[in-house]
Formats: sequence, structure tokens, C-alpha cells
Amino acid sequence: MSETPALELRDIDMHYGYVRALDGIDVAVRQGEVLGLLGDNGAGKSTLLKVMSGAHQPTSGTILVRGAPVVFHSPSDSTRAGIEMVYQDLALVDAQDIATNLNIGREILRRGPLGWLGFVDHKAQRKRSAAELDRLGVRTAAMTRPVEMLSGGQRQVVALARAASRVIGGVPGPPGEASRAGLAGGVPGPPGEASRAGLAGGVLLLDEPTAALGYEQTRQVQALIRRMAENGVACVLVTHNLPLAIDVCDRIVVLNRGRKVADVATSATDNDQLVGWITGARASMFA
Amino acid sequence: MTVTASTESTEPVATARHDGDPARVRWLIFARDRGIVVLWVLLLAGFGLWARPYFATVDNAILIANAAALTAIFAAGIAVGIICGALDLSIPGTAAMAGCVCGWLMTHDMPVWVGLLAGLAVGVVVGLVNGLIALRGFNPIIVTIGTLSVLSGLAATLAGGYTIPGLLDLEFMGTRRYLGVPAPVWIVALLFVVGTVFLTRTRDGIRMMAVGGNAEAVRRSGVHSDRYKVLGFVISGFCAALGGLVTAALVTEANPAANPGIIFNALTAVALAGVALSGGRGSLPRVLVGALILGTISNGLTIKGIQPYWATTLTGALLLASLGLEKWVSTTVSRRLVATAAASAHTGTR
Repeated sequence: MSETPALELRDIDMHYGYVRALDGIDVAVRQGEVLGLLGDNGAGKSTLLKVMSGAHQPTSGTILVRGAPVVFHSPSDSTRAGIEMVYQDLALVDAQDIATNLNIGREILRRGPLGWLGFVDHKAQRKRSAAELDRLGVRTAAMTRPVEMLSGGQRQVVALARAASRVIGGVPGPPGEASRAGLAGGVPGPPGEASRAGLAGGVLLLDEPTAALGYEQTRQVQALIRRMAENGVACVLVTHNLPLAIDVCDRIVVLNRGRKVADVATSATDNDQLVGWITGARASMFA
Repeated sequence: MTVTASTESTEPVATARHDGDPARVRWLIFARDRGIVVLWVLLLAGFGLWARPYFATVDNAILIANAAALTAIFAAGIAVGIICGALDLSIPGTAAMAGCVCGWLMTHDMPVWVGLLAGLAVGVVVGLVNGLIALRGFNPIIVTIGTLSVLSGLAATLAGGYTIPGLLDLEFMGTRRYLGVPAPVWIVALLFVVGTVFLTRTRDGIRMMAVGGNAEAVRRSGVHSDRYKVLGFVISGFCAALGGLVTAALVTEANPAANPGIIFNALTAVALAGVALSGGRGSLPRVLVGALILGTISNGLTIKGIQPYWATTLTGALLLASLGLEKWVSTTVSRRLVATAAASAHTGTR
């Protein structure tokens, strides 16, 4: 796997008037890596995520996507660069079914004259959505089920899958192939078919993806995030949920009052250390 | 152990359930989506027995369809507006204006087709104006009330304050019958087939419905949601203009006075059809059945010689009852699904 990070932020400053929301932040996330952003309320996690998604423009600093410097003026700029944000409020169309929600904005049109008139190939769309959900291992309900009739966990899965499928690319790959690759072993070991084919390289930004979920549903979303990382997606996860971060993240960055105070591999740290950094009781790694 | 592995090896039952919903939920969804059709069939059967032998005849069916035609056209306009997220109240004004423009052109020696096209163009332009104003962040209800006043004033000015009579050339789309069926019924059939196909089968139609449901979600998917909001107003205006032209054709004169009553009639049909005022959901075939129910009730009661006030009363009562049914079904469905969610949410995990 290449060492160029999928997304890198260098020396990001962000001022709101006299308030320094972010102060010289350096963060990088590699393909297939899940990066956790921890911190207390007001530490700057969400601001940093919004800088990554293009919703906020930093006061100074550089953003690099796969090594190339970019400037995001709006969220659509970052979307074009392969960065997708999963919003806390899900942003699904309740009255429409799962397949429509997953396909909106990238519909499959029918072949021939009907396609020229803008007719949608519902069957192909349902098939592609089913394949995408299968590949993520989270096919939860009939593709024709309206989103309003899903439970909270299922909705979250659909929202995640929608972002993921855009990041990974619309190419479903043979569903059998994908699940077989998953069967080989849970550890991301050799890069999967997808990343070698160059489909991966996208970045997924997740803002409290499990905030509204129960225990079992949280575990499901957790498995989904891991699986997307296995597919070569770089994930940035903002959360308050420490056990979740420890379970799902490869690396954890802790922010405190706009400064980065820790950047460690999850395996090299533990709950107490992280709590220390979050509360400020523990000295910064970079002080 | 990965997620997929366990799905395949240990949960064949769950896999089989992927594509089906619990039977009771399916039944409830059927009641919600098709309940209005069942209601109409019951009404037809009831009147068929009660008002024997005059009600259940082909001639009477055509009468009902013809009586429901105008309501159906306006209801289509209202419904598309609501589905796309805006209640268009300018419909009576657009209808009056379209009729007057068409009538004025015809009385000024223009060919009929020019008048008709100009009338429909009025609808499209009004829709564009409504949509573009509403996009600026103004409340669409107020905006369309404004255009309603502007249009009825303009129509009266154009017509000189009086109706434009003698539009006999429009008879071909008014009272004439083709294959025994009056022209307005054909027009309604065409409008609803095209509209339904557009809303459910084409990319733009599906996006339009999605914009009505959650414009933000559509915008985040990289789609220009504003475009589809305007499109909703345009279609609504087009239907209003079509309704105005058919009205003019039926009475062979163009009346510049906007009749707000058509909104309430059409809204009743739309609400009976279960089109949520919050937008994003609804189906045109059900709206058509809603309009037919209104026609059926007034027709059946007329045959029995009952005063027409009762038709209004009965319609209102039905509307309230349908609201109750809708509420009951949606709460029951969500309760059911929450109960089964624990099972179905996990079919993919370990």
C-alpha cells in the first residue's frame, strides 16, 4: 500500500473572531485506515471534520488529497475529490425506498430510447444496491422498503452505505467475489480486489455515527466501518464513545482546546491514557 | 470471523427474509396504499345496490368520469405541487388566465391551436415565476396567493371584465365524445398516465419526489434540488392551465373570475388520496380515485334525489375518516417494525 496518505492536513489554523478553534493541526489518514478523532466538547473535533469536508475553510494551512494540495470552497469540492461525509442527521429521503436512496444522483438509466427519455432502470438499481450492501455485509431489508419503515440502526446503515458506495465507486463487483474476499479472513491482510483495482482511495468522514443507536446496532455499524476500511477506504471517525473508538480505530488523534495532544496507534494506548489526554490531565505528546 | 461468513453459514432463514416484510406489515401497507381503492369499490357496490338500476350502468359511469374530470385535472396540479413540497394556491388564477388568453386570441382571429398553446404556455410561465420567487426563500403559500390575485386581475383586464363567449371551436375538447367517451375523460386519462410514469419511472420524476421529501438529502447527493422545486411549480401551473382550457371548452366561454372553490375540491381529492401535505409522498392514480370518489358520491346521491348538501357532508366525513385510518396505519406499522427491527437489523451481523 502506498505511503501517501489519502487525506492529509498540514498546520491547519482556524479562527472564529478571537477564538482559536484549531491551532496548528497536522493530521493524516491512510487508505484502509480508521482514524479516531477524540476530544471533549469544544475541543475542535467537529470543526476539524468540517474543514475536511469543505464545509469550513481554514484560516491557514494546507489540505492534501493523495499528496496533491487542494482548496475546498464547498462540500461539493470535497465530494469531487472523493471525500464523503456521513451526517449525524442521516439525510435520507424517508418516503423513498432503500434502492432509490442509495442511487439518487447516480441513477442507472434504461438502455435504448426509454433511457434517452430519462427512464430509470429500477431493476438494475435494486441489484446494484443489493450488491453494495452485500459487499458491506449489511443487507438488512428488502430494497423496496421505504426508509421511514426502517429502524434507527438500519437507517444508519443505509446512510453509511450511501456514502461508502460513492466513495468506493459505483462498481459493485461480483457480489460473490466480494463476500469470498471477506471470508478469507477478518484482518485486512492483503489488499482486497477493490483497492488493487484502484477503486479505493476515497475518504469517509463520520460524525458520531452511533450516537442514536443501541448496543447491537452500534456493533453492526462498527463492523461496517471495519469492512469499509478493508475495502481500502480511509475513515475519519469523530466520536465521544471511547470504547467504540478503541474497538474500531487503527489510530487515535486527541484534540484539546484546538490543539493536537496525542496521535497514537490504538494498540499502543489504553482507555486511561486517552481519558487523560481528553480531559487535559495528561501532558500533550507534542508539548 | 467476518460478517458475511456468518450470514451465509448460519442464517439461511434470515437471508430468505431479506426480500419480504412481515405479513401483517405488508397488509397494513396495502391498506395505506390501496385503501382508497377499496373504499371506492365499496362505494360503487353500495350505490350500485342502493340506487338500482340507474347507478350501475355504462352511461352513468361515463357521467361520473366526466363529472370528476375537471376536479381530477386540478387535483393533479395540486398533488404534484404538494409532492414536490409546495401548496400551489394560484391554480384558479392560472386556470382563469389560461382560458382568457386562449379565448382572447381566438376572438382575435387566431387559430385554435395557437390559443391552446398560448394558454398552456401561461401555465408554464406562471409556474416558473412562482417557483423562482419561492426559491428566494419566501413561503410558497403566500407567493401563490399573490400570483393568484395578480392573475385574476390580469385575466379580468384582458377580458374587459366580462366573460369571453362563443368559443365554439373548443367544443372538440369539451363536450364532444370519442368512442362514446367525452373528451375531458380522455384528457384526464392521458394526463394521469403520463404523470404517473413520469413520477415513478423517470429520473427527473423520482428526484422531484425526493426533493419534496428531503431537499437537503438530495442536495447532498450532488443534485441541484432547486431545479426540481421549480419543475414542480411548472407542472402544477401546466395542469392548472389545462384545467382552465377544459373548463372554457365545456362552457364554450372563458370566465376571467378565478373560482377558489376548485382548490378546495381538488384538495379534498388529494387529501383523500393520502398525499401528505408535508411533501415527498403520494401517487397520482390514488389522486384520480380520490376525484372519482367525489364524483361518485354526488352522482349516487343525486340519483337517489338527496339534496346535494349531503354530498359535501359525506365527503368531509370520509376525508376525516381517511385521516384517522392513515394515522392508525402509520403508527401501527412503525410499532410493528420496531418490534421486529431487533431481528431484521441483525440479519447481516454476527
